[in-house]
Amino acid sequence: MGECSLQFDPTSLVPYFGDLAAGARLSALACALALAGSLLLGTLMALMRTAASAPARRAAGVYVDVFRNVPFIVQLFFLFYGLPEIGLELSAFATGVLALSLAGGAFTSDAIRAGILAIDPGVLEAAEVSGLPRSAIYRRIVLPIALRSAVRPLGSVFVNLILTSSILSAITLNELTGSAKIVAADTFQPFEVYALLLVLYAVLTWLVSLSAGALHRRLNREHAR
Amino acid sequence: MMRYTDFTSHDLFLLLQGLGVSVALFAATTLIGGVIGLGWALLRYYRVPLLAPAAALLAELLKNSPVLVQLFLVFFGLPVLLETDLTPVQAALITLSGNTAAFIYVIAVSAIESVGREQIETARVFGLSRWQTLRRIVAPQAAAFGFGPLAGLLINQLQVTSLISVIGVIDLTKVGAILNLRTLKPFIVWTVIGLLYYLMARLIAGACARVEARLRAHREWKGL
Amino acid sequence: MIHIEGASKRFGSNTILDGIDLRIAPGEVVSILGPSGSGKSTLIRCINGLEKLDGGSISVDGHRVDDPKGLQLARRCSGTVFQLFNLYPHMTALQNITLAPIEVLKIPRARAEQAARELLASVGLGERADLYPSQLSGGQRQRVGICRALAMQPRYLLLDEVTSALDPEMTAEVLAILGKLARSGTTMLFVTHEIDFAREISDRIVFLDGGRLLADLPAAQFFAFDGGLAQPRIAQFLSKMNKS
Repeated sequence: MGECSLQFDPTSLVPYFGDLAAGARLSALACALALAGSLLLGTLMALMRTAASAPARRAAGVYVDVFRNVPFIVQLFFLFYGLPEIGLELSAFATGVLALSLAGGAFTSDAIRAGILAIDPGVLEAAEVSGLPRSAIYRRIVLPIALRSAVRPLGSVFVNLILTSSILSAITLNELTGSAKIVAADTFQPFEVYALLLVLYAVLTWLVSLSAGALHRRLNREHAR
Repeated sequence: MMRYTDFTSHDLFLLLQGLGVSVALFAATTLIGGVIGLGWALLRYYRVPLLAPAAALLAELLKNSPVLVQLFLVFFGLPVLLETDLTPVQAALITLSGNTAAFIYVIAVSAIESVGREQIETARVFGLSRWQTLRRIVAPQAAAFGFGPLAGLLINQLQVTSLISVIGVIDLTKVGAILNLRTLKPFIVWTVIGLLYYLMARLIAGACARVEARLRAHREWKGL
Repeated sequence: MIHIEGASKRFGSNTILDGIDLRIAPGEVVSILGPSGSGKSTLIRCINGLEKLDGGSISVDGHRVDDPKGLQLARRCSGTVFQLFNLYPHMTALQNITLAPIEVLKIPRARAEQAARELLASVGLGERADLYPSQLSGGQRQRVGICRALAMQPRYLLLDEVTSALDPEMTAEVLAILGKLARSGTTMLFVTHEIDFAREISDRIVFLDGGRLLADLPAAQFFAFDGGLAQPRIAQFLSKMNKS
C-alpha cells in the first residue's frame, strides 16, 4: 500500500482567520435579515392559514407546500437567474436574503400556526366578548401568546436558516462557506478548512439552540399555564 | 463563443437522466444511511462504551452542520488527506449516507425512548435478553413512533440531494444548470426542475401515508 | 333591557334551547337554575354572541345580537365572567383589567390603571395587581375576572357558573363579592348551581329544563310550595340539590 502520510495541520490556517471572519460576518448579516424576513412572512402566512376565509387558507397553504417540497438551491437559482429577466437586478446578497426569507417563512409559519392553534379558546372568547376589535385581539392576545410558545420551534428554524445559508456560496456570495472555498484553494488544505467550518457551524447552531431554550424559559417563567 | 439554443427533445432525455441520478443516489444513501443510523442507535441501546458516545458526537456534528460543507470536506478534503482520488458520485454517496445516518440515529433514539421504560423493565424481569426485548417489544413500537418523523426526513433528504450538483454530479439540478446556461430561459428551466422535485416529494409523502395506513390497520386491535 | 324572544338552538338532532322567552330589566338580579344540559350556559353564550341562535331573537338595549354591528354594541353594554376564568395568561392582573378599557373605550392608560387598582382593592387583591394569572389561586383569578368585566362599566353582567370550578372556600370569597354587587344595583344574570346563594340575592329565578323555560318567578315564590315547588320537575331538582 505504500506510505500513508496523513497531513493534518490546522495551525496553517491562522493567517486566514481574518478572511473567514469576514465571511462569517456576511453570513451573520444575511441570516439576521432573513430571520426578520421569515418572521414577518411566517406570521402573515400563519394568520392566513388560521383565518376564517378559505381562499386565504388555501393560498397560504400552497405557498408553504411549494417552499417545503422544492430544494432550496433550485429556489435560489430560480430567483438569481430569473429576476434579472423581469428587470429586477438584485445583488447576490439581496437575492440570497430574499430566497432565505421566502423559504424560512414557510417553516416559520408552521411554528407560529401551531402556537396559534394551541391558544386556549376560552381566552379568545373572553377577548371577543369584551368588545375588542379583531385587530386588537390579534395584536394583543393571539400573536403575543402564539409567539411565546413558538420560541423553541422558531429556534430550530433559525438553526436551519444558518445551515441553509451556506448554499448562498453557490451564487458567488462570499459568506462563510464561500470564503472557506477561497481559503481552501489558497492553502491547498481543504480538509482542515472544511473540518474547521463544520465545527464552527455546529458550535454556532448549538449556541442558537441554547439561547432559544433560555429565551423560552425566560418568557414563560410567569406565564406558565 | 457560446451558442444559445432552444429546447430540444434531447433535453427531455437529459432531464430523465438527471432525475434517474437523483433518485438513485437518494435511494442508495437512504438505505446505507438507514443501516448506519440504526447501527449507531443499537450501539446506544447496548450502551457500548467509547463507540456509542463517539457515534452520538458524530451524529450531532453531521446534524448541525451544512450538508454543502460536508460535501466539500469529503470531495475536496478527503482526497488530500488520504492521498486518494474520489469521484463526485463517490463523494456524494459517502456524504449523504453519513448525513442521513445522523438523522436516522436521532429518530431511532427518540422512537426507542418513546417506548415506555416499564415495558423494557418488565421484559427484563421476565428474563428476556436485551436483544429479545429489542426485537419483540421495543422495535415494533418504536417503528410506529418513528414513522412520522421518518417520512418527513425522507422528503428533506430528497431536497438535500440537489446539493451534489455543486460538486459536479450530473443530477437533476445539474441538468437544470446546464439547460439554464444553454437556453438562457431560467423561468422555464427552474420551474420544470422545481416541479419535478415537488412531484417526487409528493410521491414519497403519498407512499408513506399509505404504508402508515396499512401499519395502523394492523395495530387496530391494540387500541383499547 | 335584555329581550329574549322565542330563542331556539339545535345541535344536530339535539334541541338545546326550545323557544325561550325572557326579559331582564336594568337593576334586576336574575338567576337561571336547572339541571346540566338544560341549556343555561348556551343561553348566556347566545346573549353575548359566542353562539348563534337558530330561531328567535335576542336584543340588548335594542341592539340585536344577530347583526354584526348590533352585536358589537350589545357587547359594549354587557360583561361576561366565565366558569374557567379565561384570563389572558401573558398579562398581569392589572393588564387583564385595563386591556379593553384602553383599546375599546380609549381611556388613557393612567386613568384606566387607577380605576383597575381601585377595582382590585375592592375585591381584596390590591397588592396582587402585578401578578400573573399563574401566580394566583382560582378564587383570586375569578375575582380578577369579575374586575375585568366590571372595568368596562357594563349595564348587564353575565355570570356563567362562575364558582363551579372553585373549592368551597374560594366559592365563598367570590359569592361574597357577587352578593355585594347584586345589592349595589348592578344588573346581573347568573347561571349557577349555588341554590342558597341564588335564593338569597335574586329578584327572580328562572328554571330551564331540556331547553324549555319551566318557571320565571320572583325568588320567594319560586321556593314556595304553591309556586315553583308545585312543579314536580322543579321540586325533584331542588330536593336533589339539597341532598348534595
